[in-house]
Amino acid sequence: MKRLLFIVILLVTATVLAAEKPPLITRWENFTTANGIPDDKVFCLAVDGPRVWAGTEDGLVLIENGKVARVYGTGDGLVHRVVMGIAVDKRNGDLWIGTFGGLSQFSGGQFKNYTNLTSGLLNDIIYGVAVQDYWVWVATTAGISRLDTSTGEWRNWSEFNAPFHEPWSYGIAPAPEIGKVYFAVWGGGMIEYDIATDTMKPYTDPDEEMELVLFRNQGLVHIIVSNVAFNPDTKMTWGSTYFGLTGYDGRNWHNYLTKDSGLASDFINAPKSRGNEVWACTDKGLSFLDYKTNTWVTYRRNKQNGHGEIEITWPDQKKTTLEAPTSLAHNYILNMEFQGKDIWVATAKGLSHGIREPQMEAQLYGNAKLDRRSTRGRQGEGAKVSKDGFPKSGQRPAGSQ
Amino acid sequence: MPKKLFLLIIFLTLAPPAWPQSSSSKPAETQEPPEKRYANMPTEAVPFRRFTKPYHEWFVDKNTVEYNGAASDRPDGDISKLSEIAIGFLGPLENNPESMFGIPMLHGAQMAMEEANARGGYKGKHFALKIYNDSALWGASSTVLPSMLFKDNCWAVLGSIDGQSTHIQIRESLKLEVPILSPGTTDRTVTETRIQWILSNFPDDRVQGYALANHIFRELKLKRIGVIRTQTRYARIGVGVFNDMARRMQRQPTLEVKFDRGDMDFSRQLRMLRDTKIEGLVIWAEWPEAALILKHMREMGMKQPVFSSSRTAYPKLLEIAGPAAEGLVTACALDPSRQDAAWTAFRDRYRQKYGEDPDAYAAYAYDGMNMLIAAIGKAGLNRGRIMQTLRDYQLKDYKGVAGDVTFDYTLKNVSPVTLSRVENGKFVYWKAASSETQQGPVVAEIR
Repeated sequence: MKRLLFIVILLVTATVLAAEKPPLITRWENFTTANGIPDDKVFCLAVDGPRVWAGTEDGLVLIENGKVARVYGTGDGLVHRVVMGIAVDKRNGDLWIGTFGGLSQFSGGQFKNYTNLTSGLLNDIIYGVAVQDYWVWVATTAGISRLDTSTGEWRNWSEFNAPFHEPWSYGIAPAPEIGKVYFAVWGGGMIEYDIATDTMKPYTDPDEEMELVLFRNQGLVHIIVSNVAFNPDTKMTWGSTYFGLTGYDGRNWHNYLTKDSGLASDFINAPKSRGNEVWACTDKGLSFLDYKTNTWVTYRRNKQNGHGEIEITWPDQKKTTLEAPTSLAHNYILNMEFQGKDIWVATAKGLSHGIREPQMEAQLYGNAKLDRRSTRGRQGEGAKVSKDGFPKSGQRPAGSQ
Repeated sequence: MPKKLFLLIIFLTLAPPAWPQSSSSKPAETQEPPEKRYANMPTEAVPFRRFTKPYHEWFVDKNTVEYNGAASDRPDGDISKLSEIAIGFLGPLENNPESMFGIPMLHGAQMAMEEANARGGYKGKHFALKIYNDSALWGASSTVLPSMLFKDNCWAVLGSIDGQSTHIQIRESLKLEVPILSPGTTDRTVTETRIQWILSNFPDDRVQGYALANHIFRELKLKRIGVIRTQTRYARIGVGVFNDMARRMQRQPTLEVKFDRGDMDFSRQLRMLRDTKIEGLVIWAEWPEAALILKHMREMGMKQPVFSSSRTAYPKLLEIAGPAAEGLVTACALDPSRQDAAWTAFRDRYRQKYGEDPDAYAAYAYDGMNMLIAAIGKAGLNRGRIMQTLRDYQLKDYKGVAGDVTFDYTLKNVSPVTLSRVENGKFVYWKAASSETQQGPVVAEIR
């Protein structure tokens, strides 16, 4: 009996230790102007099954089967060249595209455009679009617009009719699971729209000061919110700011700065979240948080050799750095999307497709001779990696130079 | 006797641990580093200072506007294919109550550009100003920056004055990556965003508010202050800084009243202020309304000293208000009584060209345009490198016709402002004292 108990404990411990290793993106495939996208600056993404749509500074790109399938520009009917937000209507496959010159609807191969002068759209400078049933939400620089596609009716929210400290809207995250929609508002914090009551509730920076964070988990970390994401699994809402990452579980706020976490940078353009995963698109790489274990992984491109750098920050703040042969197109990350286990990442210098490879992941962890017991238990030892990120054994991952 | 001996032993036992704690015996290497303070903030303006130390402070490190994007990797402009080197201008020029400041701003920018072109332009190509009106209709100017970039091929932008318009521009520039130099906004929040694409050389609300509060509460030792302001973002943000400072000095303004731009009758607001028995009045507005307020309050028998924001230090205020303006103290963006050669030469050239004296907006626009032209000259036709050249002004000075400008980590001008007082119908200027140089709190510290 004692032996059985010992085995069970051993198995449970081993499972827990194994589970603590975060999954890794080990291969990156990049798209730049060299292989067909119209501009290296990629602002936004939308995934529709096997199809990936990307918005660039010079038009819209469709990627299928690992290749650029089609590029759409103003010559094709797109309302403006700068594409800042894309959303897919899952009911009919229509694409809604927010640009710096209005909103485009791409349906049946045709563009239909909506501008401030031709429709009820609040402003032509659009930063985000989202589809929720028959509503199309649009985040504009003058507030939030909503098109009811079943009636064609527009409705707008700004500082004149809603609790917007400032109306400069950036992102939208529908949260149908809890009957809400969240908005990221620059200078206005995070705003929660309750569908049932048709009311808006603002969450602002409780210290009301631009230059400080008074307490770590004080509430919203900063009034300037650059984007927002809702996690349907945990029901948590995540906000990105240029002053850290902020998460709201409906009761408490959970804030992260570089000084207290594995975040690559406090300057964050967008968050994404599902399951226990929280992703932060920063100006110094792509950071991942396993919310359950408080383990961080940051992906960045080594500027010297172009290899991928994977920095793991364990719950005890110790770090392990691994090196992969491929990397993100650039470290300045603007946005990302999930596609199954893969991710797609919009960067300042190309579009990146991140792929998980279990074998490569095992090799990287193996090369690092990762021993979490030593990392957790013995101060200063950590994983066996040298300063340049290569495993101390000298054995480098396949493909690295 | 044994009791006294016992007490002596207790005293000697407890006393020694206190000795090393005196500052004189503290080794130099263990001294606390000097406190970094954002925007040259006076001690009394520090938020929550009586309560706690913040978990984290921003804008006190070089990485405040650290840029990690790829703008400088984009191809340089091919000068052989360009007929001109375009720089955008966004300012209130028509159908906008702020055009009285926007037109001098345009003149200052044009003068700097003409002088640069007379010197040969950039590699033989002339600079060209692409002028856009900053409409008073909110949001109407929002599509200007994309036009400047994609239609005009502007390498940088000068503008604007309005805080809202400038905010819209910088958020667009964060995505489109066009360098912006604001020579006129007082909105402190514009550079408090960590957007790496803006530099502002105009003295903002913080430095104006701190200077006024210090003068009113510390130097003049006034206690009951009223505030009257316009219903504009300009005044809302400006008064916010002043009120915060006043509250932290335990001198919360007694009453704040508002009016709309263009109002002519302020009797209701002034009666309310008079009834609260204020000892002084702060006006955060433009000169036309400020002049009328001064007249009306003196006509009503209100003799309190009056203090005002930078947009009121104009000769026309003296014309309208007459003797009622005597004693008015204003936080000024510019000291036009300076006699240094850079200023007097610019003033004379401007006067000759436009038939009037340059104001602060003209002077800072002239300096700002010269900074942009110099940055293009140094960095070439690459927006990423042009902005990096401007970012290099962090914690550095620029000596221009408007005076010496010092940029902080956010790339905002934090030089001490000038104060002026109307004496015998003229503005008399002096440099505002820093509250740090003056001893003692306004009121006793709460223990």
